[in-house]
Amino acid sequence: MVGSPVFLIAIPLLAAFLIPLLGMVWKELVRIVPGLVLAYLTFLSATLYIDVINSDTIVETIAGWRAPWGIDLVFSPLTGFLSTIMTFMGFIVWLYSYRFKRNVEFEAAKKYFIFLMLLVAASVGIVITGDIFNQFVFIEITGISAYALTAFYTGRNSAEAAFKYLVMGSLSASALLIAIIIVYAQLGTLNMAEIAANIDNMNVEYRIIAMIFFIIGIGVEAEIFPLNGWAPDAYTEAPGPVGGAFAGIVVKAGIYAMVRMMFTLFNISGPMQILIIIGMITLIIAETSALRQDKLKRMLAYSSIGQMGLVLVAFGMGTQAGVFAALFLMLNHAIIKPMLFLSGSYLEFNTKNKYIKEITGMGKKMPVVSAIFVLGALAISGLPPFSGFWSKLSVLTAAADENMILIITLVLIISLVEIVYYFRVINRLFFFDYDLEISVEPHKPGWNGMVALFVLAGIILFIGFYPSSVTGFLDLAARDLMDTHDYINNVLQLGQSIIQ
Amino acid sequence: METIITILLIFFGGAVATYFLGKISGMLRNIIFLATLVIPAWMFFSTISPDMVLELEILGIDLSIGITPFSYIFAIIVLGLSVIAGFYAVKAMQGKENLNFFFANYLLTIGAMMGILFSLDFITFFIFWEIMTWSSYFMVVFTGKEVQKTGIRYILFSALGAYAMLMAIVLIYTTIGSVNIGDFIDNFHLFPTNLKWLVSILLLTGFAVKSAMMPLHVWAPGAYSNAPMSYTAIFSGALSKMGVYGMTIVLIMIVQQIPNGYWIKEVIAWLGGITAAIGTLWAVKQDDAKKMLAYSSISQLGYIIVGVAIGTPLAMLAGLFLAVMHGIFKSTLFMVVGAIERQTGTSNLTEVTGLIRKMPWTFLAALMSIIALAGIPPLGGFISKWMLYESLMGSNHYLLIIVIFFSSTAAFLYCYKFLFGFFLGQEEKEWSHVKEAPAMMVVPMLILAGFSLLLGVFPGLILKPINEGMQFLGYVSTDNRFWEMSMIFNDWGNQVVMQPIFYTIIAIFLFFLIFLTIKGYKTTRYVTTKDISSSGEIPREEENLTFSIGFMQPFFRAVAPVMKRQMSKYYTGFGKGMEALFDFTRRIYTGNGQTYALYLVIFVIILLLFRDSLF
Repeated sequence: MVGSPVFLIAIPLLAAFLIPLLGMVWKELVRIVPGLVLAYLTFLSATLYIDVINSDTIVETIAGWRAPWGIDLVFSPLTGFLSTIMTFMGFIVWLYSYRFKRNVEFEAAKKYFIFLMLLVAASVGIVITGDIFNQFVFIEITGISAYALTAFYTGRNSAEAAFKYLVMGSLSASALLIAIIIVYAQLGTLNMAEIAANIDNMNVEYRIIAMIFFIIGIGVEAEIFPLNGWAPDAYTEAPGPVGGAFAGIVVKAGIYAMVRMMFTLFNISGPMQILIIIGMITLIIAETSALRQDKLKRMLAYSSIGQMGLVLVAFGMGTQAGVFAALFLMLNHAIIKPMLFLSGSYLEFNTKNKYIKEITGMGKKMPVVSAIFVLGALAISGLPPFSGFWSKLSVLTAAADENMILIITLVLIISLVEIVYYFRVINRLFFFDYDLEISVEPHKPGWNGMVALFVLAGIILFIGFYPSSVTGFLDLAARDLMDTHDYINNVLQLGQSIIQ
Repeated sequence: METIITILLIFFGGAVATYFLGKISGMLRNIIFLATLVIPAWMFFSTISPDMVLELEILGIDLSIGITPFSYIFAIIVLGLSVIAGFYAVKAMQGKENLNFFFANYLLTIGAMMGILFSLDFITFFIFWEIMTWSSYFMVVFTGKEVQKTGIRYILFSALGAYAMLMAIVLIYTTIGSVNIGDFIDNFHLFPTNLKWLVSILLLTGFAVKSAMMPLHVWAPGAYSNAPMSYTAIFSGALSKMGVYGMTIVLIMIVQQIPNGYWIKEVIAWLGGITAAIGTLWAVKQDDAKKMLAYSSISQLGYIIVGVAIGTPLAMLAGLFLAVMHGIFKSTLFMVVGAIERQTGTSNLTEVTGLIRKMPWTFLAALMSIIALAGIPPLGGFISKWMLYESLMGSNHYLLIIVIFFSSTAAFLYCYKFLFGFFLGQEEKEWSHVKEAPAMMVVPMLILAGFSLLLGVFPGLILKPINEGMQFLGYVSTDNRFWEMSMIFNDWGNQVVMQPIFYTIIAIFLFFLIFLTIKGYKTTRYVTTKDISSSGEIPREEENLTFSIGFMQPFFRAVAPVMKRQMSKYYTGFGKGMEALFDFTRRIYTGNGQTYALYLVIFVIILLLFRDSLF
């Protein structure tokens, strides 16, 4: 065994505190250490994940206090799957921004990497913790590092965006706190498994109120409508890789928290109207708004929100097939959307106002980056043979299983909108007549950024051609989420425990 | 068996190889490109026989690949046209930018079309269908003209069709638990009635988009005329036939099983007829040859749809025969326009005149194809039109005959305009420098023109595979009974009964031609258009004696009411309305933090108010 799940949180936190000290020794360490840490985390998470799949869920108790008294970490096929994606995406984002931040002065780079580490650590924490108050703490840490990263460029706009995010984040945090208080007052415990086991003892009215406040509390991170007003601004004003990290890591954690709450905490089985309705509204409003955007990152942000809406719809079906489809979508989105953000921020690096029309003709100047962007656009709009197609197909079949013809129709119509706005950008990149003035000098991509993009593109193509390579994992993860009983048993009776 | 996989692998591998080797040298790229076209075609025609099936499994869904006698007909069209047009494309595109991309995409489209024909299950079918869509999209926007308008229109309609199809596929999968097309057809009678209707209409919508049927045709004029002509030859010739392919299967195998499904066929037939008539009217109006041919393609596809939708054995025979013929003569015509555009720099019928002496071989190819298009014997178009009329009469569609007859008569107008505009008329100084297109472009055109003559004289060559394909669809074999089906054939269907008459006419014509040539050879004097005197006055150099602008004004005054209502206007209006609506939803995100906080509060209130119904 290379380590235990607690390392996934402890090591990046430790590293985040050590980075300023290391920076005093040798400035370059500030850039290198986060990479080493994230690489180790990816490796650790993947190893543990394979372990978990082959044997059984790892439940780790912290500080010797067993559940339900202490905090425990649950590394199951589902959480392992998500934490592996997140740490991997964290590593990719680091790889991309390793040299990108070289032109930024030392202080700025130091902060950037510290917050990046915190962001990844806290997001992984949200996923693997088995305690709602602990989850609340991690959501707060994620939020704070996300606000800081949004304001990275310290301009007026980024400050404004970060402030909006902060306002929404703190409002939601208080809602979350209220929800936790209600649950604690009713059941006297904060452990997820124990709450799940005793949820039937809770007063129905309180249960619903708690659920509502949970939805509000987590909804901001999960970008559901109408709590996602911060998202377009934050994605636009934050540096490109941070946008990628939001789409690939933070939102996934938010969605996980939401779904864990609905499926496990409140032990709902069968279709969840609320998720379907919220998801559908989010999807429709976000995708239609994306059509009318004139800034590239803003468009990508709306598209990201829309995809999350679709994920919630798929989860809301409450069936094995639906959860499978949702996880598949999350996987694809976690890979494709950061790829779009990363390549997109290369494309618009030197433009003045970051408008889409400013990147017209970039396909000539940066053919490879543009081609990767096109690949991402084709994949995310669900065109075969790329990976996005398979997830869209599984969402549709899951919906058809439940006889939700209206949902199928709406999802497909929205996909048309998606195709239109992505293809408009593709047209601008490659196929415009060149008479338009293109004064923008392309930014020369570093080797590390290109490696990151190529790795992501490779994964997209690989999943596209061999979808069966990931379906086994997704199936296990979906089964894990569906089986609340197993979760309770694992946690409360300590299936495969490590006591430290 | 493995040949099918090999063919697909060659196409997709060849596409990649063409792209990357093109970075090294253009010559190498051209060689790889042509090899990728020729080798699979050779493999296909030498080793493949229909009824091969191969099973695969992806994502827990059983996929199967194979070939049926019916898809064999379309494979002939695709492979034949793509090889010939490929040679043309190599020369025609010479010197253009971004050729690696062009040729790679070309191969992708061909590979995807073959994939469509090889796939025996819906998932494989859909994957190849979409690859075909986006690869052809990249060709539509390749020239960079009207990218946002035409390109987006094309992708939007294609995606609309594809998603309709996807929805049908998903419904089928959940109903019968299999995506195999054969299983679907066998189990279709188990579907509930409303699902039967829904699935068939969705599938038909998907195919109708690609075959440019009214009212889903609006993408076609722009897309056909915007793509490079060497690609449009495939686009209109072969790619649109994929829609016909799917539509035929749905109409014959599926709709047949619906009680009252007869009405779907009637509606489709009528839509086909209207498409034919409207397409023709618009074609006559165009001054740009590309646009004219694009509209003409739409109208010809309308005929094919009529034939397929009527569905009597003879009508089906006519539709499929016309599909093959249209592939041949329409790609020839697009190639002709491509050649003229390359040599003169424009494809406008009102500007270019009198090319007959400058580009005689191109003229020959154009003439033959126009004759075939207009349905004049002895070329193939005549036979298919005859069969179509006969089948319409046989199945009592008298009103439809009038529509079809009107449109094929009106087609003469644009046929004439095309020939006259480009080749005949007064020679002008402006075009005196024009030379014949290079041999590598002319020869493919002439080969195709030769095919339309060959099939006109010996229709049996293509009727045999069509007959086998129709047997696969459940028709009784028509072999050796062609005479019973249409009075135009002899018993075996390999010749047309009128042929002795044709031969006589041709012989007399040739005899007089030779006789007159020899007799008048010594006294022959080449005259130019201005070498005349009218009313005792010799026309000056700059005077224009022929007119190619504003043809057929009275005709348009007569049909003006029909043409006033243009489908695309409605779509544009709808699109504008949607954009305005979306702009409204965009404004929900005001960019003001206070508003967002307010939203949060409202959201809490709504959830609390509706908690009973939501949870």
